[in-house]
This record gives sequence, structure tokens and C-alpha cells, in this order.
Amino acid sequence: MDWLATVVNGALLGGLYGLFGLGLALVFGVMRVVNLAHGEFIVLGAFLGVFLVGLLPQLPPWVLVLPVALAGYALGWGLQAGVVNRAVRSGNPLTPLMLTFGLSVMLRNAMVQFFGADSRAIDGGVLTTAGIDLLGLRIGLYPLLVLALAALLFGALHWLLRHSEFGRVVRAVADAPEMARLMGVTPARVFNRVMGLAIAFAMLAGFLLAQRTLFTPFSGVERMLIAFEVVIIGGLGSFWGALAGGMVLGIAQLVGQKLDSNAGPLYAHLVFVLVLLFMPKGLAGERR
Amino acid sequence: MKRLSWVAVAALAGTALFAPRFADGGLLRLAAEILLAVGMAQMWNLLAGYTGLMSLGHQLFVALGAYALFETTQRLGIAPWWGLPVAGLAGAAAAALLAPVLFRLRDAYFAIGLWVFAEIGYLLVSKSSGLGGSGGRALDVSALEDVESFQAIGFWIAAAIGIGMPLAVGALMRSRLGLALLTVRDNELAARSIGVDVWRVRFVAFVISGFGCALAGAAYYMGGMFVSPDSAFDINWVVMMMFATLIGGIGTIAGPVFGVLVWYALRELLTTVFGLQGGWYLIGMGAVAVAASLYAPRGVWGLVARSRGPKDVGAARPAKSDALEG
Amino acid sequence: MPPLLQLDEVDVFHGDLQAVFGVSLRVEAGEALALIGANGAGKSTLLRAITGLTPARRGTLCVDGQMLGGLSAERIAALGIALVPEGRQLFPSLSVEENLLMGTLARRPGRWTLATVYALFPVLREFRQRPATLLSGGQQQMVAIGRALMANPKLLLCDELSLGLAPLVVEEIYRAFSRIREDGLAIVLVEQDVARACAVSDRLVCLLKGRVTMSGPSQGQPRERIAAAYFGE
Repeated sequence: MDWLATVVNGALLGGLYGLFGLGLALVFGVMRVVNLAHGEFIVLGAFLGVFLVGLLPQLPPWVLVLPVALAGYALGWGLQAGVVNRAVRSGNPLTPLMLTFGLSVMLRNAMVQFFGADSRAIDGGVLTTAGIDLLGLRIGLYPLLVLALAALLFGALHWLLRHSEFGRVVRAVADAPEMARLMGVTPARVFNRVMGLAIAFAMLAGFLLAQRTLFTPFSGVERMLIAFEVVIIGGLGSFWGALAGGMVLGIAQLVGQKLDSNAGPLYAHLVFVLVLLFMPKGLAGERR
Repeated sequence: MKRLSWVAVAALAGTALFAPRFADGGLLRLAAEILLAVGMAQMWNLLAGYTGLMSLGHQLFVALGAYALFETTQRLGIAPWWGLPVAGLAGAAAAALLAPVLFRLRDAYFAIGLWVFAEIGYLLVSKSSGLGGSGGRALDVSALEDVESFQAIGFWIAAAIGIGMPLAVGALMRSRLGLALLTVRDNELAARSIGVDVWRVRFVAFVISGFGCALAGAAYYMGGMFVSPDSAFDINWVVMMMFATLIGGIGTIAGPVFGVLVWYALRELLTTVFGLQGGWYLIGMGAVAVAASLYAPRGVWGLVARSRGPKDVGAARPAKSDALEG
Repeated sequence: MPPLLQLDEVDVFHGDLQAVFGVSLRVEAGEALALIGANGAGKSTLLRAITGLTPARRGTLCVDGQMLGGLSAERIAALGIALVPEGRQLFPSLSVEENLLMGTLARRPGRWTLATVYALFPVLREFRQRPATLLSGGQQQMVAIGRALMANPKLLLCDELSLGLAPLVVEEIYRAFSRIREDGLAIVLVEQDVARACAVSDRLVCLLKGRVTMSGPSQGQPRERIAAAYFGE
């Protein structure tokens, strides 16, 4: 029974992991850029959360989800408009990688300088420690809510991409940016908004994670690797696959932790290697 | 190679030969570090600049080489430098084993995939007390007869690596394999159509890169006589390799050499002259990498080459993207 | 009345290679101009220059009195210039209807809406939700034309409509063509099939190696004259 609870909680953690991967998948799917600073933005969301919680202690932390997400959107938009579009324009696939890697180094070490290297967490209050009994299993309330939020966000993004004009434009630009220009679309502007969304998801997810684990400025690496693994396990190009991939990793993480308490993300990484070996196209298969 | 270059190499070798007699320990150690960094940057460039496979996980090879050397030295009770070939082979073996898994991934995903394996290595080593655990381990120098000459020999090994690797890469790129590498990098489809075994070519480059990087990593930690997972598996190894290659000029031989010198010059400048602590200099390095990617993607050597006309056979000319043109 | 489209001494380059040399031509409102020539003559490049995807390096391009020099492709599209590109180039991730709707981003009012496009090509209504690239070549060509029409353009550029299509299908497409022309829409038509090009257009311009070798009405041209302009003497 204990194991079952671990598995279920792992699946719930997967919601969060899925959110990590969502931003990465979105950016890659639309503009073929892997944002190597993605992890650092996740951690930045956590730090922003710490700052806001300190600033407005009377508010329940979950309310701050919105300002963190908005800040993420603004940052992502600025990042894309400011530098990433230039890197994409060069046509050299290495350039955005070098750029975002350089940015990750800057961000990571800037966070160390400004916030210090100590680990910290956000106290989510009653919400994070509460549990509910479901079918005889003890399940964390917070993970359940986070999964619900993740599913909601996935669903919202899905709706946006499939049923709105913006979504049509995004998919068209991802397919053929040049043809899209002939329809009056400026790909760079679309990229700005997509990156805004991606970073909003990233910072939001970081804020949510900080309420259940400790983090330091160096946690970004681990987060980004998880995000990347989520995308690969789910299958390149599949969003719902990313959520499924997140769950696989979440379960691997918690089960591994139960087996071996000081292994960190080792077991999640090993499961990723197994998937890579035996299901190289991921759970959903490659769409493009 | 031009006669001037051979003269320069001979002068360097000569200097290296006599350096231990005249330089103090600290300077020798720094010089060794720079020489080994040149070797590592060459190996990173071999994969990224000449084969077109960017890596974010080369710290794996650095650490593997170091731990292989430390472990061999201790188990066999031999002088540390005999552990170097083992270290190189360990790197080569790791690359050979990882290639089938990693080569399914493209571009950035290959880079991050290798990083994942580096993280796995880090976690495994940290957990294993047999390898010293997260606290690290010291080099077993009990088999050394003459401890005094250890530093000098370590320096000469570093010099051999730092001078030898650029030469080796240069020779490689003039060989048939080198030409095959370039064709694969520039146009995989075209390369396949003329009968180049793309997988095999990339495989060989990856194995060589792993070998060389492990060798340099082993030499580095041998000189310091201490290794720990946090240090050996540090992502900043790759930050240095990438920075040096980018700033210097990706896909050239001289580029990474120049880039490493700039890296260390900047480091010394920022830390000693401006008194900045470690974190700030890394921020500065990151900023330089960002600027380079935007304004000088072919590095300093690329800027120089552009003004003199394209001479470096291996330099790539990327196609511009139409998506954001105009 | 000034011509709808006027090109003067236009030079266009493909990277470092010049593809179009000093081309001048004009298209009046409501007129259909056929652009013919062998492969590599520079026809598609010229169209790309008009749309702004490959801007002309020298010369002037003018649509409805508006100079196109320096404008981005997006701005030019907003002016009312639509392209039916060579090879259709539909968006694979979008359905037929979504591809058509992409044309409406310019929000130009006019005759062409989903309803009227479906009336022109009824088979598309049947496949409206299907991913566009799963249709047959001819049907995809209809989608591509429909997508361009949905922008209610002043100037329609058609690049090799008949390429890769069976003769019967080509017939069907060009039948629709005459209904498109009813509006007073100006058309520049690049077409390999010279006879077809002459049949559906008012005037003819022939390119050879990037230069204009002939310009005149489409009807009543002796075959020898066209062949001479097409292949060169």
C-alpha cells in the first residue's frame, strides 16, 4: 500500500515535471530552439516567489502564482525580442545554443551573487502539508492541486493551439515561417509571445516546486535536465506526451527516493536512459 | 603546415622543456592548467566545430579520465603517469558505449543527452565510497620514487598534451577522415550520397574526443593530486571549452588555443586586478559568450579570417535563415 | 490610371548570383499577365521579389502607386498581394479550412470568404477538417489558390499552377481561374505550359536567363516568335 501511495504521488509530481517540459517543448516545436537557460528560469521563478512571499506575507502563496507567471511572460517576451530572435535569424543552429548557454551561465551565477548559494524553500502554508485519504491511500493535497493545475494549463494550451487564431498562426509559423510571412505574419513577433508563454510556464512551475522541495541557484541544471527528459520520453512534438513523460519521471523519482534516499534524480535519469534505449521515439512517437 | 608554425612549435617545446627549472610551482601549475585546457578545447572543437556535434557533457570525460587514473594508480600501485593511457582508454570506451544511444538524438538533444550521462556519472561517483564519495580522494603517490620531479614531469605531460593535441587535430583534419568529417558537418545528406559512412565517421570523432578529453582531465587532476565529484563533473569545464572555442573561432585549430588564452587572461584580470570573486567572473564570461554568439559567431579568428580571406579549410559557412529575413 | 503593378529595371540576386537583369513590366488592374520562360529563367525569382521574400537589389517595384522597396514581406502582403507558391506549400499542421483561414489575417474585405471559396471548389468543403497535405495534388492546389484568394488581394501571383498535376485536374483548376478573374483582380501567372498561358492571359512576357525577351498581347502571337523568345536565337 505504501508503494502504491508512492507511485500515485509520483504521478502527481509528474504534473509539475510535465510543466517543466511544456515550455521547452513549446519553444523547440515552434522555433527549433532549445533554451538551455530554461532551468535557470525555473529557479528564477522560485526566487521571485520567495521575494514576493517575503514582500506580501499576508497573502496565501498560491495567489502569487499569477504575478510569477506574468513576470515570466514579460521576461520571456523580452528575452526573445532582445536576443534570441537575432540568434534564430543567423540560421546557424549552434548560435541559439551558444546564446542560451551563455545566458544560463550568467543567470545562474548572478543568482548566486544576489541571493546566495544557500538552499531555501517557500512555505506554502497549510496547503503543502495537508493530505487527503483517497481509497485508503494517503495522498498529498498539494501535489493533487498542482496536477490539476498542470492538466488545466496543458488543456488551455491545447485549446489555444487548436482552436484559436493565435494557435493557427503559431502552428503555421512552426511549419513554414516564410509562407506565414506571405500571410502577413511576422514570425519574430509570434516567437516573442511563444517564448513569453514558455517562460511563464517555467517560472510558474519553479514557484510551485519550491513549495515542496529545497532549491539553490544551482538547481536549474537538474530542472532543465528533467524538462528535457520529459520531452524526450513523451515524444518530440507531443504535448500530452510531455505530461505522460512527466508522470513516468515523477514515479521514477519518488520510487527511487524510497529505495535509496540520497540518490537525488539518479533513478529518474536512469529511467530516461532506458526509455531512450528501448523507445527512442518516446511514448507518443515522433510527430514530425 | 607553414614553416613559421613549426618554428613556433619548436620554440614552445623548448620553453616547456626548460620551464620547470626557472618557474616557481604556482606558475608551473597555472601553465599546466592552461596547456591542458588547450587540449580539452581542441577535443571539444573536434566534435563541435569539425563534426558538427555540440556537447554539453564533456565533463563526463574529464571526470572519467581523472577517476580512472586515480583508481588505477591506487589499485596497481604504480606511478601515476602510467595511469594516463588507462584514463584515455576509459574516455574512449565511454564514448564508444554511449554513441549508439546518443546518436539517435539530434543537435541540442544530443548535447543535453550527454549532459544527462554526466549527471548520472556524478551521482554514482558521489554515492560510492569506494571511489571516494562526495568528499573526494587524494592521489596515491606511494609508488613514486622521486616526489620532487613529480611536478616537473606533470608539467611536461601537460605541455605534450597542450602542444600535441592541436598538431594531432590538424593532422587529422588533413586526412581522409578529416575530410569526411567536414562533409558530414556541412551536409549530411550529400555526404551519405557520396558514400561517406556518416555514423562511423561521427563515432570515430566522438571516441577520439572522449579519449583526448579524458587524458587531459586525468593529467589535470594528477597534477593537483586530488579529485572530487563536484570539481571533476563541474559543468564549468564545458563552459570553458565552449567559451574558448567560440571566442577563439569554432572549426579552426588556432581558434581554441587563442580562446583558452583569452579565458585565462580574463579570469586572471577579473579576479586579481579587479578583485572580483569567482561568481562575477563567470557572469562576465557568460556575457562574453552571449555577445560572441550574436556578433562574432565565428569567433575572433573568424573575424580575422574574414578580413584576410577564407584560408582555414575547415571553417563553416552557415546558410542564413529566411524565416526572419528582412 | 496608373498600372496596378509596375516594375522598372529590376535586378534580383539569389545570394551572390544574379537571377534577374533589368526587368521592366506592368500589369493593369483586371489584367492577367503570363510570365513564361524555361527553367531557371528567373520567373519564380521575380515573383519572390514582388512579394518581398527576396527583395530586389536594384530597380523599383510599385503596386497601386506604393513603392515596395524596403518593405517587409508581411507589409507587402498586407497591401493586397497574394502568392500561390510553386509546389503549393500548404501548412502541414493545419487542416484545409485552417489553411484557408490563414489567408484572412490581412482582414481585407471583399468577395472571397470561406463560403465563396467552397462554392468555387466544392470538394474542399468535403475535406475541410482534414490535414491539408493529405489531399491529392490537385486538391492541394485548390487550397493554395483558395488561401491566396481569402486575402481578397488586388494582385494575385500564381507560380506554376499546373506543375505535377494531371491534365484533367489542370483543366478543372483553370476553369476556376476564369471565375476568379471576374472580379477585376490583376494576375501574374507563371506557367510552363505556354499554350495554356496564352489562352488564359491578356498579355505575355517571356524571360530568358533573367532578361525580358518578349512582351506583347497573348493572342495572335506566331509560334516562331514565342519559341525564339523562349529559347533564344
